[in-house]
Amino acid sequence: MQMNRLKSPILIIAHKEICDSSRNRWLSFMGSIFLLLSLSVSFAGSAVTGSLYLPELDSLMSSLSTISVFIIPLAAILLCYDSFVGEEEAGTLLLLLSYPLTRSQIIFGKLLGHITVMLTATGLAFGLTAALLLLVGEQYNGAELVAAFAQFLLSSNLLALTFILLSYIVSLKCTEKAKAIGCLLLLWFLFVLIYDLLLLTLLVSDFSFANQFLINVLIAMSPTDLYRAINLVAIEGEGATGSLAMIATTDWGLPAMYGLFLLWIVSLTLISHRIFKRKPL
Amino acid sequence: MSVAIPQFGVNHNSRTENTMSELAIQLTDVSLSYQGFTALDCVSFDVAAGQTMALLGHNGAGKSSLIKIILGLIPPTSGSVQILGQNAQLSQARNSVCLGYLPEDASFYDKLTGYEVLRYFAALKGVTQRRVESLIEEFGLEYAQHRQLKTYSKGMKQRLGVAQAILSEPKVLLLDEPTVGLDPQASQFLYGKINQLKLAGCAVVISTHELSLVESHLDRALIMAKGKRVALGSCAELRSASTLKTCIDFSELSERVKTNAYLQQFYQDGLLQIAASQKSEIVQHLVSQCQIFDFDIKEPRLEDIYHDLMGQALCSSVEQL
Repeated sequence: MQMNRLKSPILIIAHKEICDSSRNRWLSFMGSIFLLLSLSVSFAGSAVTGSLYLPELDSLMSSLSTISVFIIPLAAILLCYDSFVGEEEAGTLLLLLSYPLTRSQIIFGKLLGHITVMLTATGLAFGLTAALLLLVGEQYNGAELVAAFAQFLLSSNLLALTFILLSYIVSLKCTEKAKAIGCLLLLWFLFVLIYDLLLLTLLVSDFSFANQFLINVLIAMSPTDLYRAINLVAIEGEGATGSLAMIATTDWGLPAMYGLFLLWIVSLTLISHRIFKRKPL
Repeated sequence: MSVAIPQFGVNHNSRTENTMSELAIQLTDVSLSYQGFTALDCVSFDVAAGQTMALLGHNGAGKSSLIKIILGLIPPTSGSVQILGQNAQLSQARNSVCLGYLPEDASFYDKLTGYEVLRYFAALKGVTQRRVESLIEEFGLEYAQHRQLKTYSKGMKQRLGVAQAILSEPKVLLLDEPTVGLDPQASQFLYGKINQLKLAGCAVVISTHELSLVESHLDRALIMAKGKRVALGSCAELRSASTLKTCIDFSELSERVKTNAYLQQFYQDGLLQIAASQKSEIVQHLVSQCQIFDFDIKEPRLEDIYHDLMGQALCSSVEQL
């Protein structure tokens, strides 16, 4: 699409972000990583058991979400960490603000561009995997497989959106790109590794105070655990083993968990907008 | 802190003259403070359409704050800012199309081509693709328009930056250090373009430290120190305000001085050193009384005037402490 044909500043900024991501090979690189990951899990995941076979749909989705929970936030962080601090360092943020644009248009333009890039990378990689499974996996029900992958793609991109917005907040707050990436990697480490590990420890320790309500609250407080829970609840916890299966015991339904994800996204959008609005120039 | 240096350019006559010739920028008693620090202290000036004003001052003098206030990006703590007759803050979005801005040392998107960068900014301002193509041609970037910006030289990037600033044929152009790091030819090219815009009625404000380059292209200069206006006026007005003397030299000067009591009073260090206001009188004397037609007049350069005025301003601020 020609940029000069676009009229909305949001679409113009989104288009530029997509151009930038495809030009610096982020799109092809992350798309390849996602593709390699999903193909390995789907077609070679059973190798650890000593034989090669296509896994059941439940365990396949469980494995994919278990690996994606690490990779997708990291990809979102790497895509967006310099969204604002980078433009500030280059002098283009001040220039953009001198244009007939509102700060909301700049944020939403970037958000639209970045989520389109994530959707393209994940959609192509996981879509191709689903198509191959449909072609070679006779045991799969076509409609079930498509529904499972669509649900997986939706939740993965909501997780990506959450980390894109977290990256914006950090990028708006930091004064150097190096500080922004450092802070975001720390956030990734806390959310994806530490919090997750502490939650699982709590689940298996069977403390008297750890009732279902507390566990639900703790799951809701971390987008990565919400993502895990959505994907485990979607497959009814059948594919999950060990402590992971306990996350699936949450008594929320899928709509409530998607609602919580949306709440995360709306809250982070409002916070990032507020920070941008008050950012000293 | 106050500076006891004559202030030019805001007298009644010049104000009346400027109002008549359409003021593009008008700042009245603008102050800016944050976290207990005064970045700007009661700064007033105006720039008429078709006028070039140089914004001069040391690092941290308040030049960038002033540019941000003119752009409507930050509100002044007090005072009023009128851009093209409208309040800069209230009509920021409306004025943005009429404003062109080149930030200091801007590094545009390295992965995009020159054409893509210009097209992006053009789309944001609603400028046609034809204008983008014509600017690329005008700025001599045709041969490199489809190359990524990371392959551009400093001069090419700066030319692209100026092209970006004038995309919408602005009525007010703000350039922050447009010639820093450029070779003399590239600087000359940029000032040529700025002069063309000025002739087309654009008000140009140039913030720069390269005084020798800007001297021949400015109509007025605003000198700032520590957030305060030190002086404002044309080169001639600033020269009068400084303590620097105009020097006149000719062959056999020392011999002539011995026999001319009038010239003797100005003779110092082998030269005739006179105040700017006395220049025409002395020249007339040399031509009519002494029959000397071949002489050199060395006016103080903007750089010398700047250092002199800054020195006076800083001295008076120290005395006040």
